[in-house]
Amino acid sequence: MQHELFPWLILFLPLLAAAAITLFTLRSRALSAFLSIGAIVTGFILSVIFINANGWHFSAEISRTWLSIGSLQIDWGLKLDALSMMMLLVVTGVGGAIHVYSVGYMHEDSGFARFFACLSLFTFSMLGIVLANNFIELFICWELVGVSSYLLIGFWFERPSAGDAAKKAFIVNRLGDFGFLLGILTVWGLLGTLNFSDLHGQLTANPAALGLSATVAGLLVFCGAVGKSAQFPLHVWLPDAMEGPTPVSALIHAATMVAAGVYMLCRIFFLLNPEALHVIAYIGGFTSLLAALIAVQQDDIKRIIAYSTLSQLGYMVMAVGLSGPTAAMFHLTTHAFFKALLFLSAGSVIIALHHEQNIWKMGKLRYKMPITFWTFLVGALALSGVWPFAGFYSKDSILAQALAQHDYILFADGALVAGLTTFYIFRLFFVVFLGKEKSDGASHAHESPAVMTLPLVVLAVFSLIGGFIGIEGVYSGMFVGESGISTGFAAAIFEPFIHSPLAASLGLCLVAIGFFAALSLYAKADKDPLPEKLGGLATAMKNKFYFDEFYEAVFVRAHDFIAAVMNWIDRWLVEGFCIGLIRGGTDLTGRALRLVQTGNLQTYAFFFVLGVAVVLWLVLK
Amino acid sequence: MNASLMFLEIWVVALGIVMMLADFFFCVTPERKRFLAYLGIAVLGVLFLELLGPDAPTGTAFHGAFVEDSMAIFFKRFFIIAAILVLFLSSEFSDSVPGGILEFYSLIIFALAGMLFAASSNDFVMLFVSIELITVTFYVLVSYQRARLLSLEAGVKYLIIGALSSAFMVFGIALIWGTAGTMNFTELAQVAPQFLDNKIFLTGVIFLFAGLGFKIAAVPFQIWAPDVYQGAPTPATAFLAVGSKAAGFVLLLRVLFTAIPAVTARWADFLIIVSALTILYGNLCALPQRNLKRLLGYSSISHAGYMLLGVAAISASGQSAVMYYLAGYLFTVVAAFTVIALVMQHLDHEDVSALAGLNQRSPLLATTMTLSMVSLAGIPPLAGFFGKFLLLKAVIEQGLSTPNHGYYCLTFVALAGILISFYYYFGVIRAIYWSKDTRDLSPIPLSGGAKFLALLCIAGMFWIGIFPNTVLNLANAAAFGFK
Repeated sequence: MQHELFPWLILFLPLLAAAAITLFTLRSRALSAFLSIGAIVTGFILSVIFINANGWHFSAEISRTWLSIGSLQIDWGLKLDALSMMMLLVVTGVGGAIHVYSVGYMHEDSGFARFFACLSLFTFSMLGIVLANNFIELFICWELVGVSSYLLIGFWFERPSAGDAAKKAFIVNRLGDFGFLLGILTVWGLLGTLNFSDLHGQLTANPAALGLSATVAGLLVFCGAVGKSAQFPLHVWLPDAMEGPTPVSALIHAATMVAAGVYMLCRIFFLLNPEALHVIAYIGGFTSLLAALIAVQQDDIKRIIAYSTLSQLGYMVMAVGLSGPTAAMFHLTTHAFFKALLFLSAGSVIIALHHEQNIWKMGKLRYKMPITFWTFLVGALALSGVWPFAGFYSKDSILAQALAQHDYILFADGALVAGLTTFYIFRLFFVVFLGKEKSDGASHAHESPAVMTLPLVVLAVFSLIGGFIGIEGVYSGMFVGESGISTGFAAAIFEPFIHSPLAASLGLCLVAIGFFAALSLYAKADKDPLPEKLGGLATAMKNKFYFDEFYEAVFVRAHDFIAAVMNWIDRWLVEGFCIGLIRGGTDLTGRALRLVQTGNLQTYAFFFVLGVAVVLWLVLK
Repeated sequence: MNASLMFLEIWVVALGIVMMLADFFFCVTPERKRFLAYLGIAVLGVLFLELLGPDAPTGTAFHGAFVEDSMAIFFKRFFIIAAILVLFLSSEFSDSVPGGILEFYSLIIFALAGMLFAASSNDFVMLFVSIELITVTFYVLVSYQRARLLSLEAGVKYLIIGALSSAFMVFGIALIWGTAGTMNFTELAQVAPQFLDNKIFLTGVIFLFAGLGFKIAAVPFQIWAPDVYQGAPTPATAFLAVGSKAAGFVLLLRVLFTAIPAVTARWADFLIIVSALTILYGNLCALPQRNLKRLLGYSSISHAGYMLLGVAAISASGQSAVMYYLAGYLFTVVAAFTVIALVMQHLDHEDVSALAGLNQRSPLLATTMTLSMVSLAGIPPLAGFFGKFLLLKAVIEQGLSTPNHGYYCLTFVALAGILISFYYYFGVIRAIYWSKDTRDLSPIPLSGGAKFLALLCIAGMFWIGIFPNTVLNLANAAAFGFK
């Protein structure tokens, strides 16, 4: 392996930047931004050099022992293979673009330096997840991304809604992480190691090593992904997380962190047995449908995209469940490009309209914001899965995977979601960029500065070409039971039609249906025509199928009741009776003993001699 | 005769004399005072590097009265570092000493010489002379602020109780010599088994123990500590807390494990009781205490108790834990007294409430004090945690390998004591950050030297806590080489 030092640098530079900003440069905006951007861009350049030098099809581990307690040895190590190297490029590349964009977006904010410190902390933690070679390291970084996500969602903490959203995200994630930790402990208890390569080796040598607990262990580990990747039933935190600044939504809640759950599932794919995979596939499929339906009736530009993220994450989880980690990772990568692009374009619109987020107060932005218009269009086409945009290829490989597994329910589900996706994203597109100006703000909007539009253009390019530049080829061959696909560049463009014509053509048909439905309903609409046509269903969609209310009524109330009982026990029995007695007794003894210290020298001398006498008696008796 | 082993001590005494005479030849302006302190520190630093390096010579001198072994070297390094830190602290404190700060410096250096001799004592005469050299210089140091009534009172108390303990000690030595017929530790170890039931011999040993117990402030000889800690000038208190206590411990280890190991082996119960009572007394009395220096006085009693855990364990790993603990304790305590000296030197009281709002007045000092309290309480990753861990580990190991259940009781008492101590240590932290009665919020001006000292102590606490191996290896070498 060449450049062995580089992965360490890539990992730790952002942490150094975060520390330096927090400790020294909080008062200097320019320097803080420079440090943070410098760290991630250097990381990107080093990643490119590293991959160039070592090639894609190479696999290595570097590790140092961190703790060693009895038979438990915990390393701090880096696992370098196609999976992690591609993710390195995605995190540092897309992340770098978003860092640059943030300079424009956060320009007027007083917490500018703090923002970049948090971004760098996040980058470090995310890279830690990507590079981890064992469960403990992964889990630590997993919690660290949770913390940085908390800090960034609550970035504008003076707004109560932002504080609440941050807490909600953190607590809901804790639920998933609890299961995840139990899963990790189960695996360690049964197999005695937490290193991914060792686990893989053990399970390859003896597939029944986990015995009857295999399904349980797999599903417990999956709990972590359910929380982090916001799958049903823990999906409720992600839309609220849009309270954070838009670059955060793009980086953390679209491109990288929420995808960490999917990445983790692919990393430990060998642990999952068919039963667990089956559950995973259906949870993913259900989430993707549910979120797409909700997205159809939202009015907040960021929430629509957030529900779209949920839906796409559902796709990826479904792909993992369908034994297609390559398809999942492929979609994760293209999704990182086009979803970051959509969020950043939305952010550009939001800034132009002075933080207006309701799409029914926008309109006709096409001529005032031409770059944003075109880049958003690219993002929307890629999300819908229109040939030859990136989303088409990755979505198609998921649908093809469903067909290959003969799971026709999930295939139908996936195809339906493809149609819905096109419908809601073009609803958004028509209402925001075409039609009439629906408010004063919309008529006075103007294009964002170059520091914001440049990242948009870069991401748009990748959203266009990401499908056929060989990303899938890098991932395939990583996983058991999948053969590598290698085709030429030109052939790659048409590959889906040859590989699985039914999936490709049906997918495109539904995209067309969704597009024309959106066109006919929203091209000239001033207000939403759907509620009249759908009635109760539209209200349910608008209210997110009442999940928040349901959780509030059942779980939060039950929790409050238990908390009240515990509070009573703690306050009166534990605190009053047990602790009160011990504390009071200790305190009293202390006060009594203090009386010995009279300050009188004669007394002191007397006690000294008395002490000698007592000791003499004690030893000589 | 092998005087070359004593180069270090000779140089230190010479430095003390030069420092004292400097007053005659210089017109001592405040800048020069500080310069002279730094000069003294530099000389000590050079001596440390030159004479206490990894290949320092070992051997015995003066017919076995003076021994230079790995334990002596460990403690000598400790004492020199302690003296350097205290000199630093004194140079910051010089405003509050009415005149003759140079004598203050030279007294510190003489006390250091006493400690260095103590580290090498292998003979009762050596032990007594070195301990008197330390104690007598401390009489002067404690009462140095002649204009302050509290300082004088502390000096008198220290003098009289100290004289009492010296009397017991010298009487004890006489009894031991009278029965065993030797003053040398190595020779005594060979004849001591004959006197295990000789009451006169044992009385002598107990009287000696009273003298050493006074130095380390162990129950029942602890009673002077709070008053003296409170009254003494802060740098003197710091040196008393680390240097003088460590000197007591090195002598205790020498006597118990070199001179009379046969007696010590029978004394497990006695040592357990002393250790347990010392821990409880220090921690319980500190609970209602509001005066910060007095609080640290009680805290120093409880820490003597913790270190006695390692002595009571009667094992090499116990001794090594004591030495490791002292190393961490050094930086922690000097950190606390540095903050006290800088915050309170112009106040007429040392109440905990004087720390209120310190985080706004001087974030560095607030951090230093917080870390120091956290380390004293024994929370990872600071020095105090790993030290307590090692001490308790030694005690539990001994409990496992002997049928004495007292060790488990002792562990329990120690844990209870640590738990109690959280209350008052965190009371100090609470006063810094959350106290409402803040009147004075003016920033505290810090000189470069003061900042450096605070950062040095912080670095020391973290270094010993996070990378325990360097110090622990030295302590292990000292303890196991000693056996």
